[in-house]
Amino acid sequence: MNQTFSNLLRRLAAVGLLVTATASAADLGWPEKEELTFGFIKLTDMAPLAIAQEKGFFEDEGLYVSLEAQSNWRVLLERTISGELDGAHMLAGQPLGATIGYGTEAHIITAFTMDLNGNACTVSNEVWNLMKPGLEKKDGKPVHPIPASALLPAIEHSQNRGQPFRMGMVFPVSTHNYELRYWLAAGGIHPGFYAPQRGDTSGTLNSDVNISVTPPPQMPSTLEAGTINGYCVGEPWNQQAVFRNIGVPVIADEAIRNNVAEKVFGVTNGWAERYPNTHVRVVRALIRAGHWLDKDNNANRQEAARIIAQSRYVGADYEVIANSMTGVFEYEKGDVRPAPDFNVFFRYHATYPFYSDAVWYLTQMRRWGQIPEAKPDSWYLDMAKKVFRPDIYRQAAESLIADGLMTAADFPDFASESGFRAPDATRFIDGITFDGQSPNAYLEQFSIGLKGNDTP
Amino acid sequence: MKPLLDISSVSMRFPTPKGEFEALKDVNLKVNQGEFVSLIGHSGCGKSTVLNLVGGLYQATTGGIILDGKEVSEPGPERAIVFQNHSLLPWLSVWQNVELAVKEVFRGKKSRAEMRDWIEHNLDLVHMLHAKDKRPDEISGGMKQRVGIARALAMQPRLLLMDEPFGALDALTRAHLQDTLMEIQRELNNTVIMITHDVDEAVLLSDRIVMMTNGPSATIGEILNVELPRPRNRIALADDPTYNHYRHDVLSFLYEKQRKVEPFSRRRKASAPSETCTAQA
Amino acid sequence: MNTTTLIRQLSSYRPSLDRDSLLKLSRRILGALGAPLLGLAMFLLLWQLAAARIDTSLGSFPGPMDVAGQAANLYQEHRAERERAVVFMERQEQRIQARLAQDPDWEPVRRGYTGPPTFFDQIGTSLLTVLAGFALASVIAIPLGIVMGLSRFASNAINPLVQIFKPVSPLAWLPIVTLVVAAVYVSDDPMFSRSFVVSMITVMLCCIWPTLINTSVGVTTVSQDLNNVSRVLRLGWFTHVRRIVLPSAIPMMFTGLRVSLGIAWMVLIAAEMLAQNPGLGKFVWDEFQNGSSDSLSRIMVAVLAIGLIGFLLDRIMLIIQRRVDWQKGAVS
Repeated sequence: MNQTFSNLLRRLAAVGLLVTATASAADLGWPEKEELTFGFIKLTDMAPLAIAQEKGFFEDEGLYVSLEAQSNWRVLLERTISGELDGAHMLAGQPLGATIGYGTEAHIITAFTMDLNGNACTVSNEVWNLMKPGLEKKDGKPVHPIPASALLPAIEHSQNRGQPFRMGMVFPVSTHNYELRYWLAAGGIHPGFYAPQRGDTSGTLNSDVNISVTPPPQMPSTLEAGTINGYCVGEPWNQQAVFRNIGVPVIADEAIRNNVAEKVFGVTNGWAERYPNTHVRVVRALIRAGHWLDKDNNANRQEAARIIAQSRYVGADYEVIANSMTGVFEYEKGDVRPAPDFNVFFRYHATYPFYSDAVWYLTQMRRWGQIPEAKPDSWYLDMAKKVFRPDIYRQAAESLIADGLMTAADFPDFASESGFRAPDATRFIDGITFDGQSPNAYLEQFSIGLKGNDTP
Repeated sequence: MKPLLDISSVSMRFPTPKGEFEALKDVNLKVNQGEFVSLIGHSGCGKSTVLNLVGGLYQATTGGIILDGKEVSEPGPERAIVFQNHSLLPWLSVWQNVELAVKEVFRGKKSRAEMRDWIEHNLDLVHMLHAKDKRPDEISGGMKQRVGIARALAMQPRLLLMDEPFGALDALTRAHLQDTLMEIQRELNNTVIMITHDVDEAVLLSDRIVMMTNGPSATIGEILNVELPRPRNRIALADDPTYNHYRHDVLSFLYEKQRKVEPFSRRRKASAPSETCTAQA
Repeated sequence: MNTTTLIRQLSSYRPSLDRDSLLKLSRRILGALGAPLLGLAMFLLLWQLAAARIDTSLGSFPGPMDVAGQAANLYQEHRAERERAVVFMERQEQRIQARLAQDPDWEPVRRGYTGPPTFFDQIGTSLLTVLAGFALASVIAIPLGIVMGLSRFASNAINPLVQIFKPVSPLAWLPIVTLVVAAVYVSDDPMFSRSFVVSMITVMLCCIWPTLINTSVGVTTVSQDLNNVSRVLRLGWFTHVRRIVLPSAIPMMFTGLRVSLGIAWMVLIAAEMLAQNPGLGKFVWDEFQNGSSDSLSRIMVAVLAIGLIGFLLDRIMLIIQRRVDWQKGAVS
């Protein structure tokens, strides 16, 4: 009953939205809560929050925001749920995982995607030396993208010594976990299943490679200590490995699968219902920040790198941050390649919360057993709609257009936008196409991974 | 005349891990108003137990103690005790130590000003007014004991109990304090029971000397009436045959009749239970 | 003896006297200050030598000069942040006026600066938290210790619990405290932030034991003679506790309080690091996460600050202890 009631409310809200389609900031209503605390993890893709703060976009909305670094994704999520944080920089999988009850259960929503891409997989120098001879080369440089099968000699080497090959990622429902698994599976390496129905949340069932959680800032030191052989993480922690000579990035996530929501700005549903005006205003400020970051073909990126290099934000050295933020990416030391889309903050409608992105994460949760039982296609769509809220985004975007701060061309055409990216919008390393409307059919295409009625 | 204090058929047994220990057996003693009585005996003979029974700190196993027609069942300021090691509160000044007692005893009976005068008077009696703001650790042992006496006197007790009050002091200081005590006695004519080891002290100060037999099951051996005229002067008495006779009587009781006979090694062992007795005492 | 020789003698004598007394004086100064200074110099030298040889993934280990530089930097940042705060307040005022022009019924809230806390702010937060936790622990431990000391029954009842909980590390308490506080401390307009309450309670749980144990021991060991004095005076229970028991337990109690405060400070840093509670511990953790080339120097500044503050807290307790302790000279 509750469900239908809230559906009804949502429909009413949608009708209301049509009426107020041209509302400007003044018509939005003042924020109910002006003093806000947002959490973030020290990663370059927290940039929209830092920019909205430094450029005064939050204050323009009458919001006074404190940004607080959190020690890891779990703490960040718990503190958002407990209300200590009003909202936070989250992994796209986090609101979905929390809402479907994988890990801590809480209804978390997002109306703003903070960026696309921005991750890479890095291996230790030892692993790189074992991989290198088998790589296809052109002009003395390895041909990209490097397939995961190149890891096989290193995996064999480690198994011969009686040790599992270990890789780090940042959180069970993180983009990195799914990207790393996708890449490995595409190379014929089994990354392991989760079996939460039996209490097995290690994700190492049937695995060739042992994947475990390490907080992003600790990745380089954990790699250096030899606890893990490689990792998948966001910036600056791959470039840090190059600078410190402790590892070599082998593949950027845009080569595994490009342009799917990476981080989102998440709040609890309760918070959003209590402070609707505040929420829209936060999204307005973040849209402006995202736009600023990608404006004029990344012209502001150097300034952005300087801003987030301050210890209050990411705090890593400017050179390290600038390496990926300014459109290039360094693989093996000296192997600098252009990577204009390594971090996407605004183009390709990056900030819009596409339902299809949510569905993709849910399919990956199903593929690796975090969702242990079969779900109908409709369940995937319902969950995506429960968590991803383009309606709020649209309200913010339209008021920005009405205020003349942005133009309609900056946004998807709201009148026709279905919330699903075209199946060819995302390129996958294994050439498989993804249609967000039919998740179960998509899962059927994989040779490694759960599908149909499989249970791990 | 009815005695002020009547100790009748008092026995005292302490439970110990090795069974009961009988410290006192059948002690009978009457003390009259204004009398100064000394209890003397070897250590471990239960002198302190008698004093603690009278003080109400212990309850007799059998027998009873009657003061002023009332049975003694708990400690109280009408039976003020001067403790062997002064027992002043180390965090209070001389004045405050006496004040604590005065405020407790005379609450509602004396005005603030009367209390102040009374404290001053008692400190003056023991010649300690000059050090009233000093704390116990800032004054000598003898001075501390003077304050202890002042505190006890300030309670205006019916009976003053003194537990080897000068035992820990050097001979000179002890003599000074004995003189002060006699001086006070002359003025107040208190009823006093004092425990002592010191034969000279007993003879010099007392009207009667109660000599106790050795424990266990200690009791009163002999009682000696000291009929020396007061005021007594220690120098004059030194050559006084009567004085020396009394002295001799006490000494012969202690070292002939009640001589401790155990060999040294046994004595050391035996001292353990007797020490528990005094420790409890 | 003629005048010339006398003068010559005097003139030869006076410098030698001066030299002698100077020598004595300098020896005394050396005795008092020399050893600590020499120790410090040796430490700095060893540090400098060792630092150059330790290569971490964040570059070589910072030497004393790097750390001093970062200390100055942190102070500069603090100053800069204060200036930002002033600008913020002005800007806020303008925004408030602008909104009042549109929305005259609005009751503006003028809030403090919302920027991140500086190193010095973190020190302040840490001190406040540790003192609150310590005060809370004392308020609980002293009365409970007195009850335990006075009643054998209470002591037998509580002592096993004390023995079990005493060795528990803050790391173990923290998750429990965090969850319980999140569940119990729910308020729309909380007086204290939840993270403050969490750290305070964690600190309290870890530092309560020395005070509790020492107070109860102090109370138990009230001399029998003083108890007898109290009995002779027929002091009431309350007067007995106030006039006899408490003062005699004070030296032990303060020894316990000093140990407690030391533990409180140590625990607090750990709690802040783990629980993301603001304070010096969070500063250290954030810098560790930053992984910039300055991070190690900045952490070293914090390490030294933590040590120095811990030392100062102990000194302050010592001064208070000396004032209230009646055992003169017994405290070192």
